This record gives sequence, C-alpha cells and structure tokens, in this order.
Amino acid sequence: MSWFSPDDVMWTPASRRLIPARLIVIAVVFAPLVVASAVLALVLWSALWWLTGALVLVTGWFMWIGVRLVLAHGWAEREDDLLVKRGRLWRSVTVVPYGRMQYVEVTSGPIARAFGIATVQLHTASPGTDASLNGVPTDDAARLRDRLTSRGEARLAGL
Amino acid sequence: MHRLSPLLGGWAVFAGVAGYWFYSMGPGSAAGAQDQQMHLSFTLIAAATVAGALVAIGFGYVGWYFHTFRITDEAIEQRKGVVFRQQRQARLDRLQAVDVVQPLVGRLFGFAKISVEVAGGARSGIALQFLRLSDAEALRNEILALAAGYRAEVAARHDDAASDSRVGGLREELKRVRLAPTPGSARTAVAAAEERPLVAVPVPRLLASILLSWGTIASAAMVAIFVAGSVVVAILVPGIDIVGAFIGGGFVGLLSGVAGMVSYLLASLNRGVNFRLGIAADGVRIAHGLLETRKQTVPPGRVQAVHFKQSLLWRRHDWWHIVVNVAGYQDDQQAVSTLLPVGTRQEALAALWCVLPDLGDPDTEGAVSRALSGSGADGGFLTAPESAKWVDPLQRRFRGVLATETALFIRRGWLVRELIVVPHERTQSLALKQGPIQRALGIADVAVHSTKGVVSPVAQHLAIADAVSLLNAQASRARARRRVQTPEQWMRKVGLVDDAAD
Repeated sequence: MSWFSPDDVMWTPASRRLIPARLIVIAVVFAPLVVASAVLALVLWSALWWLTGALVLVTGWFMWIGVRLVLAHGWAEREDDLLVKRGRLWRSVTVVPYGRMQYVEVTSGPIARAFGIATVQLHTASPGTDASLNGVPTDDAARLRDRLTSRGEARLAGL
Repeated sequence: MHRLSPLLGGWAVFAGVAGYWFYSMGPGSAAGAQDQQMHLSFTLIAAATVAGALVAIGFGYVGWYFHTFRITDEAIEQRKGVVFRQQRQARLDRLQAVDVVQPLVGRLFGFAKISVEVAGGARSGIALQFLRLSDAEALRNEILALAAGYRAEVAARHDDAASDSRVGGLREELKRVRLAPTPGSARTAVAAAEERPLVAVPVPRLLASILLSWGTIASAAMVAIFVAGSVVVAILVPGIDIVGAFIGGGFVGLLSGVAGMVSYLLASLNRGVNFRLGIAADGVRIAHGLLETRKQTVPPGRVQAVHFKQSLLWRRHDWWHIVVNVAGYQDDQQAVSTLLPVGTRQEALAALWCVLPDLGDPDTEGAVSRALSGSGADGGFLTAPESAKWVDPLQRRFRGVLATETALFIRRGWLVRELIVVPHERTQSLALKQGPIQRALGIADVAVHSTKGVVSPVAQHLAIADAVSLLNAQASRARARRRVQTPEQWMRKVGLVDDAAD
C-alpha cells in the first residue's frame, strides 16, 4: 500500500475552474515584477534580461505547482465522515466525522466568484483540522453545505 | 456581584497613585527653596491622579450597577455594559470547566472571581468578578450540580423518597444537595461535593523538580556557552584583555541566563506551589497558585487529551509532569492546563485515573506503566519502521502507538520521555500526512486533532501501511465510542438522577 486509497470511495475532484482562478492570482503577483525587470533591462542594463528570464521561469514553476495542487485536491463524502485529500509533494488526507463539525463556512472572493466557484470550510472544535474544500461550483457548494449540516445534526456528539 | 468589586478591580490604579505619591513626596521633602514650586506641581499632579482614580472608580461603580447575572436550569446569563449593552448566555450542558480564581488582592480581602468555560470559541466564557469567596464557592457548586443534570425539583423528590436506595454511595451523598437560591444573595444552598484528595505536591520536591528540569539546564548551558565563548574570543583575538572579555561576555550571558531562569522558576513555582489534585462527585478539582490562587473544577469527560513528560534528570526519581487539554480554556494555557506539576509514577497514574478512569485495559496501571517506560514493541506498541532512522535517528526506538478499546496511546521521546493519551470519543478529526522524504522512506504521520490546548497528539513516522490502517481503525473506533459516550448531564446518564422529572 503506497497511500490511502480505499476502494469504496468516490472522490469528487476540485473544479477545473479553480485552475485559472489560481493562475490569475499567481500572475497578479508576478506580472509586475517581470514587467519591471524587463523595462529596467531595456532602459538601464541588458544583463537584467537574465533576471527577467529567471522570474518568468519561477512564475511558470509556481503555475505548474498550482495546477498540480488543484488536480491533487479532492474530497469524498462517506457515510459517517468527510475525507479531504490535498497536496502532491506534501500530501495529506483528513478525516472529519460529521458529528464533530461545529459549523460550515462557504466563502468566495471576487476571482472565485467570476469563475463560479466557492470554498467550503468545515470547522471542528480543533484548530488542527484543515478541512477546506477549494473549488466547489457555487450551486454545489450550497447543496454540499446543507447536506453536511444536516448530517452533522443527525450525528451530533458532545465535545 | 459584591459591591466592593470596582475597588478591587481598580487596585492597580490605587497602587499607581500611591506609588506616585511616595515618589513625589521623596524629593519634595528634602528640597530647598528652589524646589518648592516643583513640589507644588507634584502635589497638583498627585491630586489630579487621585481625582482621575476616583472618576475611574465611579465609572467602575456604574458598570458594577449594570453588571448582573442569573442562573437557570439551562444556562448562566450575564448582563453588563452601560453604553454598549452586552448579554451573554453560557449553556450549562456545554460547560467545560469552572474556576474560582483569587488574585492577590482578592485573597487579602476574601474575594474571588468565577470563570465558567463553555468551549464556544474565543471569549465565550463568563467571568463573574468579584464575589465573596464563600459565595463564589457556593455558586460554583450550584453551577456544577446543574450542569450535571441535577434539578431542584428532583432534589425535592429525592427528599420524599427517602427509602430510595437503588444506587448507594454517591446518590446518598447527593441527596443532601438542595437548590434553593435565597433572594438578595448570590449564596445558594448546594453543598460542596465531598472532595477526596489524591495528590499534593510537597514544596521541596517541586523545587528539586524545577531545578532538575530542562528550563534550568538550558539556562545553565546558555551561561556556560557564553562564558566559554568569551574565553575563546579572548584567546583568539590577542588585542583584547582576557579578563575584560571574560567579564563582558560572561556577564551578558550570565544576566540573560539568570533572567530566563528566574522567570521560568517563578512561572513554574506559581503553577506548582500548593498544588492539590482531588476528585469530587462533580469533577476533578485542581488547586494551585502562589500569589494568585486558582481552584479549577473539570467535570468528568471534559479532558480531551493527556500528556505525560519526564525530562532526563527526573528519570532517577521517576517523576512525571502531566498537562491536559480542556476545551474552553483560551488564554494562559500553561497555567490552567497542568494536571500534575511533578509527581511519582503512582501519583501520575492516580491523576490519569481520575481524568480517564476507563482506559480499556483490565490492568490499567500495568499497561500505562509499560507505556511510560517501555521502548520498541514492548507492551503491544506499533513502532516506527527501521527506515525511519534517516529522518528520526534519536526518537525512533521509543516511538510507538497503541490503541486500546477506549484510548489511543502515543509514546515518543529520547531524552525527554513523553506519552500522550487521547480517548477515542474525544478525537475531533484525523489526518494522514507525508512529506517527500517520508515518501521515499515509505513512512507517514497520523495526527489526531484535539481541541485547542497544549497537547497536540501526532504519531510520527509509521510505516505507510500501518499508518493507513491506524487511520481507518481510529476513525471507526472514534465513531463507535462517540455513540456510547456523552459528557453532558453525566449524572443523569449514569443513572444518578431520574429522568422522570422532565
């Protein structure tokens, strides 16, 4: 067994629309740097083209990682708990029992809204629980939230 | 709230004013004619400060007038605030702990503060300050009895049915409990549950344990390093006078080391002095404190995780330090989460028993003892595989995980031996994690998420197959245990109180 892969689990992958949303964020951070170094290379010192090239490479690398992370992200609703998997190099699977959920939070920023996706975050009484589902299509998110809440109520346990 | 509360709360202002007054009188009295004006201005400032303090106390009184609380069968309600009204309700079935805290000034005058923790996130607890100590203790007893599912009418019914003796012992004891608030007073008529002392930490042992602990060793090592470093510098650099360098470097090191040591010593002392651990019908009682005393009561089933620690120099005496996670405690985690500052193995086992009585092993003491001092697969522990030595050469031999029917034991440590015990029904969520190096070695970590606190249980560097099966088994064990375990209104659940009254 190389990794957690139960047979009876149907993983729901994160929406592919999360990929452009992530790439835009990376581009917004790196584009000014690339442009600035290119302008400086043109005006001041042509050796700065090396810097520009390096920046472009780094941007590409980050974007590649971003795509891989989105492809690795997914979740599965089992009978009693929710599984969340994430990460490639540092990978993790989190098991959150429905009865342990304190509340469910649905958020979406401006970029995510433009792509019609949202983040569904489950909170337990533990700060260590990292159970956020990124890239849930907006209408699915509302349904997922209601489903999780009702399952949580059915299995609610004391702290 | 007692009417002197604003004065107690404003003590710091008083102290400041008094200090300033002494300060201003000092130079003034020895002054010549030239300083007379200076003296006058000092007096003026002092007067202004006194006026300011009076205004502050006045505001304090207005606040006090609007600060009220009441207790129902379901919840504690607190109302306060003049301009910004605040009403807060703490549900008793979510109660996690009740503390009676006496700050230094409160102790001098016999006042105390009650804080009720309900695990509702930051600042969800209720603090009532200040009450007469006896009132505060009576209030605590009432809150605990109510939270355990005890009702006034049930108590009355028990009075009538005097022949009822289905459950002896505790039930007999609880019959004496009455809930009858007297008008106009915070005092209620719930008798304190009888407390059975389990552990008291003697001061000499506490001092010895602090001196032998890591904090002290680290400070001493720091001083030594600084002294050695300064000597080396003095020898290597010929221009510097050796004595000067020694004194300079050594002094700085000494100072910082001593400062660190003193603060560590004081914090440990304050946590450990007068430490008493006892068990009562309404929960585990922990009392400690040097200047500010704190009496904590944690009802049964509220301890989320237990962490044993033994530093290297304690091993000879077989002393253990225990901290626990209790949901709801938000600030000052170190001070409130100590279950045992230092104790022998017997005392540590007793302390563990009183917070987690059922560990799912018929020979609990033997099992925990083996878990505390064993290594390898000794006692049925699941160990880290050989390949883990590349990332974890020191602790690998001592790492181990053992799941009984009711709790998970995680053992680790090399110089400092550690054991974490988490009851299955207190597991919040689980995670399986693996980094790139671990992947190459075929190992992974399993984290058991507990509530916010000082204990964070992680079983590191297990073989991947073991980790995956542990994750699955732990999820199903936690599910099974959650069905049978509910801490709320525990007296009702264990049949000490009849449900028929509702």
